[in-house]
Amino acid sequence: MDFEFPEEIARAREKAVEFAKKEITPELAQKCDRDEKFPDELRVKAFQYGIVDYRNPWSMLVTIEELCRADPGLGIAATVSLFGAEVIMLFGNDEQKEKFLAPVQEGKKIMGLAVTEPGGGSDVAGIKTTARREGNKFIINGSKMFITNGAIADFFVMLVRTSEPSDGKRHHGLSAIIVPGNLPGFKRNKITGKLGVRATNTAELVLENVEVPAENLIGEEGKGFYYIMTFFNISRAYVAAQAIGISQGSLDRVLEHLSSLGSGAVTEELQFAAADIATRIEASRLLTYKAASYLFQFRPNPTITSMSKAYAAETAVFAAEKALEITGYSGLNSDLERFFRDAKIMEIWEGTSEIEKLIISRNLLKEAQGVN
Amino acid sequence: MEETDLLKSAVVEFSEKNISNNATAFERGGIPAEVIKAVAAQGFLGAAIPADSGGSGIDRSGYSVILRQLAVYSPSVSALVLITSSIASAALAKAAPDLLPDIASGNRLVGVDLSTAMDTKIERGALKISGSRIRGTVRYVLNGSGDLLIAMTSDGKLVVVDGGIQATPEEHHLSFRGLAYTKVKVDSGNFRILDEHGKDALLKIADSIDLEVASLALGIARGALNKVVEYTKVRKTFERPLKDYGPVADNISRLMSELRMAELNLESSEAMRDEEILMLKILSVDIAKRATKYALQYHGGYGYIEDFGVEKYYRDAAGLSILFQSPYRDAMRVAKAVYGEKSGYL
Ligand SMILES: Cc1cc2nc3c(=O)[nH]c(=O)nc-3n(C[C@H](O)[C@H](O)[C@H](O)COP(=O)(O)OP(=O)(O)OC[C@H]3O[C@@H](n4cnc5c(N)ncnc54)[C@H](O)[C@@H]3O)c2cc1C
Repeated sequence: MDFEFPEEIARAREKAVEFAKKEITPELAQKCDRDEKFPDELRVKAFQYGIVDYRNPWSMLVTIEELCRADPGLGIAATVSLFGAEVIMLFGNDEQKEKFLAPVQEGKKIMGLAVTEPGGGSDVAGIKTTARREGNKFIINGSKMFITNGAIADFFVMLVRTSEPSDGKRHHGLSAIIVPGNLPGFKRNKITGKLGVRATNTAELVLENVEVPAENLIGEEGKGFYYIMTFFNISRAYVAAQAIGISQGSLDRVLEHLSSLGSGAVTEELQFAAADIATRIEASRLLTYKAASYLFQFRPNPTITSMSKAYAAETAVFAAEKALEITGYSGLNSDLERFFRDAKIMEIWEGTSEIEKLIISRNLLKEAQGVN
Repeated sequence: MEETDLLKSAVVEFSEKNISNNATAFERGGIPAEVIKAVAAQGFLGAAIPADSGGSGIDRSGYSVILRQLAVYSPSVSALVLITSSIASAALAKAAPDLLPDIASGNRLVGVDLSTAMDTKIERGALKISGSRIRGTVRYVLNGSGDLLIAMTSDGKLVVVDGGIQATPEEHHLSFRGLAYTKVKVDSGNFRILDEHGKDALLKIADSIDLEVASLALGIARGALNKVVEYTKVRKTFERPLKDYGPVADNISRLMSELRMAELNLESSEAMRDEEILMLKILSVDIAKRATKYALQYHGGYGYIEDFGVEKYYRDAAGLSILFQSPYRDAMRVAKAVYGEKSGYL
């Protein structure tokens, strides 16, 4: 077993660090956080620099980690314009890939994934947005909440109900459909006043009789729940990478602070706190890389993926909070306070920590009972 | 006991009327002048300032009730009272008591720079006295939007500056956003030395407000937990209210239990020794941090948005433990109380 990354991925990490040093400046981070502004120029530059390419998932994983280590809001904003792309990549047809996927992969367009609704995010099968088929189109009605890239995306992969489940199983009858953002009846309200990740764009989507061509249906009608769950299994590894970046960034700042103190001032209390953060980061990394290793070899292991996401998220919150305590006033008056605000989203989006725990134990129980 | 209950209902009634619906707006735009005036008119702003100095001269347990109940609604308003009634008033009491009536009445706002006391890396103040003038730029001034400033000089004196100050917002402002947090440029001929040993004076003040910080912390925890109890009754996932799920109910109930026990202790703090009050503060701040985290978490995505009024408790609990106290210093203080001599400093 070798714990070193191959040359190519180590190089991708270095490139991401170079980019972060050059482009993720404290001023930009501060401005986007204060004004809740999506840094589109940074997104474009990241593509031009060649560091955003989800076809090289390992490189993407370490890139996300390094960019979020520099600044979580900007790091996520620069890498999230393809959010939901895997649904089309895995289940879309060739026309959809060419028409929708190719431009986002080239950085020319932005997409989003719209699952959560005002009435609920954890309970995916409980969504209420409907798509009624009429001839060669779907008529969509409903609303989506907290959608990343919501006000700026060119289109969304949206989960909708296309039929009532005949067998009483709520996750049946759901479908994934590509919905362009500029259609009549489609309103998008930017959500402001987020605690953190304020450089990312978030919106509520309201759809009133929005007509979408039937050809925008992804894969088979009624299989949407399965597609979205498959997607979350992939995206959760990337969220874990965001969380590791936040934790590592917090630790970097702690070590810088401790180094600036006289040796007598670095008490064991402070040393132990730093050691705890560092240990949890290593554990998060190992879990995440293990999850990614399964995933990127097309042998996904949802149990490990959920463990990695939940643990890395918890670590991010722990690390940022501890870092604030250790650094005190100087941390509170530095970008660490932003890390603290940003970190909390890790335990909420793409499956809250509670939902991850449910997935983990349900899978373990199934295994124990010999059910596949 | 009855008096405390009456006071509590007075604060609740006041807060329902003046704060409740506006707490989120205060976080965005600052506490409006008329609300500060109203807080003062009720006798809350100058609660702990002696009556002959223009305050209400309320005893310490009554003062604790005010801080705690205000924090349930708006930790920022409570922090404003703490800064005015405890910190500024203690700093001004000896050398500038004539300023107390103005701050107790809310006529004048006083900014304080506590960084020199709370941050081990900051040893000196930024102000320089030269002849009859005082100049310099003071960072991290809490409540620094008025024309009074309490801060330290580069040679270690604690001073109050009256006028000749210009405030601009600090870049980072995590907690108590209803209060200004500013960088203050000073060029003034009107100042007074409050204490020759500024850092010691500020640390003494910080050590004397353990009960008050505990009150604020428990108010923050109560505000957050009240909200999450209501929310988890009505929010449904998988067709069941959140409160029906074991981990949700258990975590919230445990935190409520810890909170209630701490509140009961706080309510009988008159009989407590100083070190016990310090212990209660450390526990209370810890409860506040955990309670606010769970409250935010169980609100899901809504917890992450200002409009829902939960995230502010999370930010404030984090800032409380840094702005008004130093956790590592407190750990050593409590260790000294436990061992009877200096301990835990290596
Ligand atoms: C900034 C931001 C960006 C987002 N981006 C997107 C996006 O791009 N696309 C998208 O579709 N969604 C997005 N979301 C939504 C996010 O995924 C949801 O907020 C999340 O899934 C939780 O759903 P909810 O907010 O409805 O909380 P709820 O589902 O109502 O849950 C509330 C709380 O109850 C807990 N809970 C729920 N059920 C149980 C149970 N059985 N046992 C124990 N605890 C339980 C949850 O863990 C949570 O703590 C975003 C959210 C935010 C804040």
